[in-house]
Amino acid sequence: MSFPAQRTENLRHDRSGFGDGLNVRNSGGDTAASRKAEAAVRVQGLSKRYGSFQALTDLDLTILNGTVFGLLGPNGAGKTTLIRTLLGFITPTSGTASVMGVDAIADSVSVRRLVSYLPGDARLPREMRGLGVLRFFADLQPCGDLQRSLDVANRLDLDLHRFVGFMSTGMRQKLAISVVLGSRAPLLILDEPTANLDPTVRGDVLAMVTEAQSDGRTVIFSSHVLSEIEDVCDCVAFLRKGRLVHEQSLGSLRQRHRIVARIADVPNQDTSQGQVHLTVPEPYRELVEVSSVSGDRVTLDTTGDLAPLLPWLHGMGLKEMRVEAFGLRAMYDSIHRGSELEGLEP
Amino acid sequence: MIHHVLVRQYAMQSLLLWSSCAAALFSFAWVRVWVSSLIDMGQFRTILEQFRDFERFTPIGFDALFTHTGRIAMTFDEPVVVLCTVIWCVSRGSDVVSGQLSRGTLEMILAQAISRTTLLLSHAAVSVGGLAMLTLLLWGGMAMGIANTTATETIPPPTVRIPFTVFEVPLSNAAPVKESFLMSDRVDWESFGTGVFSLFALGFFLLGLSTWLSSLDRYRWRTVGAVVAIYVVQLVIFGLGKATDKLSWLRGFSFFNCYRPQQQVAKVLEDGPWGPWRFTGAVDDSWFGPVVYPLMLVIGGVLFYAAAVVVFRRRDLPAPL
Repeated sequence: MSFPAQRTENLRHDRSGFGDGLNVRNSGGDTAASRKAEAAVRVQGLSKRYGSFQALTDLDLTILNGTVFGLLGPNGAGKTTLIRTLLGFITPTSGTASVMGVDAIADSVSVRRLVSYLPGDARLPREMRGLGVLRFFADLQPCGDLQRSLDVANRLDLDLHRFVGFMSTGMRQKLAISVVLGSRAPLLILDEPTANLDPTVRGDVLAMVTEAQSDGRTVIFSSHVLSEIEDVCDCVAFLRKGRLVHEQSLGSLRQRHRIVARIADVPNQDTSQGQVHLTVPEPYRELVEVSSVSGDRVTLDTTGDLAPLLPWLHGMGLKEMRVEAFGLRAMYDSIHRGSELEGLEP
Repeated sequence: MIHHVLVRQYAMQSLLLWSSCAAALFSFAWVRVWVSSLIDMGQFRTILEQFRDFERFTPIGFDALFTHTGRIAMTFDEPVVVLCTVIWCVSRGSDVVSGQLSRGTLEMILAQAISRTTLLLSHAAVSVGGLAMLTLLLWGGMAMGIANTTATETIPPPTVRIPFTVFEVPLSNAAPVKESFLMSDRVDWESFGTGVFSLFALGFFLLGLSTWLSSLDRYRWRTVGAVVAIYVVQLVIFGLGKATDKLSWLRGFSFFNCYRPQQQVAKVLEDGPWGPWRFTGAVDDSWFGPVVYPLMLVIGGVLFYAAAVVVFRRRDLPAPL
C-alpha cells in the first residue's frame, strides 16, 4: 500500500499539533488543561552513536502530561535506547532531554524519582520471594507503595510466596508489573509490558494503564502489539533506524477510513484509455484522497467525519462498497516499508 | 552515600557465602593452633633445619618459626585462609557491576532513585564490612585456640660442647623431661592483630581490584577471569623474585610483596606491641617501615574503588542480555 502525498502533508501537520484532543498546549484558563499542556517529556536533537552505529539521530519529541504515548518501531529502531537515555542509563552523543522539567542527562536521579520503569526484559533478584521483591522496591522508590503493589499482584493473581527463581516467565513479568504499577510515580515507562502474558492478564494490564492515565499520570508505552497501542494510547510515535519518522494522534486516526468499491456510473470521471480516472469535487478534497484506481475498483482514504461525504458517495453510484477503519497496521506498514519515507521524515 | 535498603539486600544476598567463609576461617584458625601444639618444637626445629636451603622461599626466616607465636603466625599464609579471603573478595568485587549486569538485575535497581555511586558504595560497605568480620573471626579463632590449647614440650637435657668440635654431649642419661603448658602462657593472642590487619589489607586490595574490573565489564565470568589472571601473574612474579637474588627486583612489581603478616607478628616479639605499626625501621629486605606495606595495599584498594566509581558513573549501561 502506498501512502498518498496529500496524506503525508496531513501527517506532518499532526506532528506539530498532536491532532484531536491533544493539541491543548495553547488552551489557557483551565488548570487541568494547563497541567496537561505541560510537557512530561521533552527531547530535542537527541542523538546517540555507538562507534559506527547510529542508534538515535536528531530526535525531537514532546510528550504531554496525562497522555498515554505509544512508541512503535521495528527491532533496533531506537525505542529502548530513547527510554534508557531518558533514565540516564545512556549518555547521549548530543541533544537534550528533560522529564517533568528535570534535565535527564545532568540529574538522572531526580528524573528516576519521578519515573516508574518496566524494562523490556525485567529481571528480579532470584534469591528473593515475590513479597520480598515488592517490599524491596517499595522501600527503594520514593513513590513506592507496598499496599498498591500488593493490590496489583492480587489483581494479577500472583503467588507472592514463591521464590523468583522458581517463577515462570509470565509470573516474573507479573511481579515486575506489580512493582512498577504499584508506584505512585507521575510518569510510567512501560517497555513491552504485556510480553509473556496470557490474553486475560494482558487485558488487566491495559486496563491498569488506562486507570493510571485517569489518575492524571503520564504513560510511555512501547510495544510491538499494534492493537494494544490502538487500545490505550492517545498518540503514537513511529521510530525507524533511530529517527522519528512520524507522530500520529490516535484520535484522528480513528477518524480515518478506507473506502473500497466498484464504480458503475460516476460523474466527473474520465474514461480515456479504458481506465477510470476519478476527480474529487472541490468541497471534498480536504476530506478525501484517491488512494488507487484499478479497473473499475477504486480505493479512497478519508479524513474526519464520514457523514458529509455520504451524499457524494451516494451520487457516484458505487457498488459493493466496503468501509474500513484506517488502522495503525496500515500506517505502520506504510511507514516501515520505507518507499515513501523521505517524504515522511521530519 | 549509602542506602540502607541496598545494604540489607546485598548483605542477605551474600550471607551464605560469608557464613561459609566465616565458619571455615574461624574453625581453621582454632584447629591450626591445636595442630601446631601437637608438633614438638624440638622435632620441628630438627625437621626445618633440613630445609635451610629453601628458606628464601618462605615468607619469614626459619628462626622466627622456632617460637610458638611464629608457628601460629604461619596461619596467615595457609592456603585455606588466603583462599577463603580471595574467594570472598573476588566474588563480591566482581558482583557489583558486571555481576548484576549479567544477571540483569541492575536495570531494575538503577531505575529507582539511586545514584550509581550510592549503589557501588552500598555494595562496598557490605563487602568491606564482611571482609573485616571475616578477618576478625580468624583472629577470634586463633584467640580461642590459644586460650583452650595445652601444649607439651620436650626439654632437652643439658649438654656440653666438646672444644674445637661441633659435637655436644648430654650431661645426663635421664629421659628427656616433657612439660605441659597452656598455649596462652607462651603466646599472646593480641600479637596477631597486626597480621589480621595485613590480611584485611590484602583482601581490601583485591576487593578494589575486582570492583574496578567489574565496573569496566558486562560479563562476570570475564571479570573473575581477569582478577584470577592478575593474581596468578603477580604470584609468579613474586615467586621468581624470591627464587634468586638476580631477580629480587621483581618483587617490587608484585602486590604480594606488601603482604607480610608473619614479619609483622615477628616485629611484635622484637619491638613490642607497637613495633609493627611504625613507619620507620626497615628490616631485612624491606624498604619501608613495617606498617607501610599493609597501608600500601589499603591505598591501592582505595584508588581502585575511586577508579571504579569514576568508570561506573561515566559508562553506558547495556540492556540485559
